[in-house]
Amino acid sequence: MNSFLAELKGRQGELYHLQTRTLPVKFRSGKLESIKSEELEGLALRVIDDGRVGFATTTNVKDTRGLVGAALATATFGEKVSLAFPAQEDHPSVDTYDPAIVELSETDLVELGQDLLTRLERVSSEVDINLSINKVVETVKLTNTSGVDVEEERTRILLSVDIKKAREGDIFLLSEQSQASYLGELQVDRIANSLIQQLHWGERIVPTASKSLPVVFSPAGAICLLLPLIVGFNGKSVFMGTSPLKGRIGETAFSTDLSITDDGAIPHAVRSSSFDDEGIPTTHTPLVSSGVIEGFVYDLRAASLAGVESTGNGSRGGFRNPPRIEMSNVTISSGTHSQEEIVAKIDEGLLVESVLGLGQGNIISGQFSNNVAVAFKIERGKIVGRVKNTMIAGNAYALLKDSLIGLGNDRRCIHGMLDTPTIAVGGVNVIGQLK
Amino acid sequence: MNEKELLLQAIAGSEADYTEIRIDHEVRNQVQFQKDKLENLESSSELGGIVRCLKEGGWGIAVLNDISQLRQKIQEAERMASLVGQHSSEAAALAEVPVVQQTVHAELERDFRDVSLREKKELIASYNRILLSHDKRVVSTSARYTDSFREVTLATSEGTFIVQQVPDITLLLVAVASAGKTNIEQGFETLGSAAGFEFVLGREEQATNAAKRAVDLLSARSVDGGKYTVILDPGLAGVFIHEAFGHGCEADSLFKNERMAKIMTLGKRFGNNELNVIDDGYVPGLRGNIPYDDEGVARAKTYLIKNGILTSLLHSRETAKKMGAIPTGNARAISYEYEPIVRMTNTYIDAGVCGFDEMLAGIDKGIYAIKAYGGQTMFEQFTFSAAYAYEIVNGELGEMLKDVVLTGNVFETLRDIDMIGDDKELYGGSGGCGKGGQSPLPVTDGSPHVRITNVTIGGK
Repeated sequence: MNSFLAELKGRQGELYHLQTRTLPVKFRSGKLESIKSEELEGLALRVIDDGRVGFATTTNVKDTRGLVGAALATATFGEKVSLAFPAQEDHPSVDTYDPAIVELSETDLVELGQDLLTRLERVSSEVDINLSINKVVETVKLTNTSGVDVEEERTRILLSVDIKKAREGDIFLLSEQSQASYLGELQVDRIANSLIQQLHWGERIVPTASKSLPVVFSPAGAICLLLPLIVGFNGKSVFMGTSPLKGRIGETAFSTDLSITDDGAIPHAVRSSSFDDEGIPTTHTPLVSSGVIEGFVYDLRAASLAGVESTGNGSRGGFRNPPRIEMSNVTISSGTHSQEEIVAKIDEGLLVESVLGLGQGNIISGQFSNNVAVAFKIERGKIVGRVKNTMIAGNAYALLKDSLIGLGNDRRCIHGMLDTPTIAVGGVNVIGQLK
Repeated sequence: MNEKELLLQAIAGSEADYTEIRIDHEVRNQVQFQKDKLENLESSSELGGIVRCLKEGGWGIAVLNDISQLRQKIQEAERMASLVGQHSSEAAALAEVPVVQQTVHAELERDFRDVSLREKKELIASYNRILLSHDKRVVSTSARYTDSFREVTLATSEGTFIVQQVPDITLLLVAVASAGKTNIEQGFETLGSAAGFEFVLGREEQATNAAKRAVDLLSARSVDGGKYTVILDPGLAGVFIHEAFGHGCEADSLFKNERMAKIMTLGKRFGNNELNVIDDGYVPGLRGNIPYDDEGVARAKTYLIKNGILTSLLHSRETAKKMGAIPTGNARAISYEYEPIVRMTNTYIDAGVCGFDEMLAGIDKGIYAIKAYGGQTMFEQFTFSAAYAYEIVNGELGEMLKDVVLTGNVFETLRDIDMIGDDKELYGGSGGCGKGGQSPLPVTDGSPHVRITNVTIGGK
């Protein structure tokens, strides 16, 4: 037992120790601007004293007395919980560590970024490109007074590109990201090809009418429809009654083409780990099977409130925060057609790559109403140009139940957590410039 | 060796053209209730530092928690700065600024560090009870209190040595009401200030308002999408000017891009003569205050728009040097983990002369949009959603509306502001501003009521 847990003198406790090394390299307007080396370390101590929970964090990893004292002080006024820290369980470990990422030097990262920049700059002299590339190596150690004593190293590489094409009266902004746990899975080519394609489609600006239209959400754009579900399938929201899915397990709430799972144990996936931030083994959790609601995701606290088991979705997002529920890797079922084939069947509609103001508004109800950031007009099955100052509005739950046109076969991971194909839905309220 | 000696000695050992070290000590508390449960009660402390070196025109940065490693980290930052400098054809340089040696103490009426956890918990519990008990349809709540007291030390190789105490206190009160499956609405009040514990006392009325609004919104009508004349309340107008215009004035998005810089040329007309937009680094008590920014540059009151004309941008030392401007004290970092980037402080539309009734008169069919859920901008395009709204019919306020999302082109929208109220208010919320991965940064936004023609509203 480490000194922190020993200092608790028989009370229940859990120590989370996070060490993070990152190396972000930034290019601005096509030029290398900065390299940063980050080495961070922090501790979080959660205690249960006389049934009451307390929490404290520190960056002083030697300050046993200070951290234990702060955590116990909060426990004096803490909530009475029926929470118990888990015992150690044997479970297979998940691949989350790529030595090739650890070995990347700052020069390697600079070259990786410079190669992509050169490719993009060849396409148009008018573009202004910001690019960042970052490698992350973390070590998580989790110990508790019930016997959990685990440690894992995880790697990640992140690449993001922003392109500005500015003309008087029109500024076209595009962005693409890729994240991977293994270097070989970083999608550099896909980023380049996608940006080049969008720049080409965006050359011409076309007007949009205000009417109900089919909308094809690319994998990146699909977050607009899926974000309300990420909130809705959170076991805490369900327990609190703020999720519209409460009490609806077994109900066909979505199109029968739609299946959704959460899985924190997929080898190589960006948010995979062998255990969650509370020491629970990660697992596969079906959320929707052929349209039917199957389950929700839980951490220890929400699970104890709801009288269910944790699904291994306790997540801290750094050492500073207490655990809370987060999806791990969410996978949306695939269809059989390519995005091009889906677009080809649409007489008039939009292809949406990204929206502005994601998540603002009444997200719990599924309602969205967003200005498109990057979107293109579809006429007679073809992309005819880019649309601007156009809003799309609808309800994600209603659209994914009654108006699903199709799912693409082009599934990919966006925002490091959502593996989704193109999703086409009908009957989206579009507000454009034409009457 | 004390911390000051440690910093000065480390800087003296640096061979870079410019070296700065920023050390951040923080203590913070959080109390959060969710529904009828205490969700989190937390007491934390943190110490960390950042080193930034400029060498051969390149930036090298190192971040650490273990301050004893400072000398090694400076060498690492120097090495990376050289690598950047040798690789890039674009050399960074810094505008000259006065050397400052100063200690800035926070003056708090009632220092929240001296308030017991018990008192903090009981106060927030009392607000949570108001939220929960207002109406049976309130199904969930969130009442969150945070306080943070930072002592930030900045030392540079030019001789600047500044110690600043930075207090921050916030309160977020949210009620969620439900009337069946998908009819779920939120009401919230969000408060933040560079003040003491007195700031969060006596907020019972705000708690009641949040709960009442959530319930009222259950029966509010969804707005019909279309173009309207809109009156923005000071809260929403403040978010608009921050999101849609303020970010565009941040010179770091322009200084290496001639096409973008041309769009934001000083002297251009952006609005009518009555329009004045200001970023002010110090207004007593406000959340966005910074006496000195994270490059040691003193605060300024910067007119971004004066009488409708663009008169200044917001600068760091690097953008000012490149663009031939004077640094405005807007280089800010949210913590020791980050290098300073160009950010706003307290940003507002200055008061005009119109009364609210004057604005209403003459609107046949319009919308009065109040408070912001959030907003985002992609340079010229903006979008933000109102927490709630009322319709305006024949010059009078009508029924409550929901799902009101405003969007448009910022340049057109600024020109379409046709009336500016005489009732300026400034708000520091409990959240903050996000940019370049740095969020939340404490800022304040504000405005009087403003009337804008031709605003696109997206509804259901």
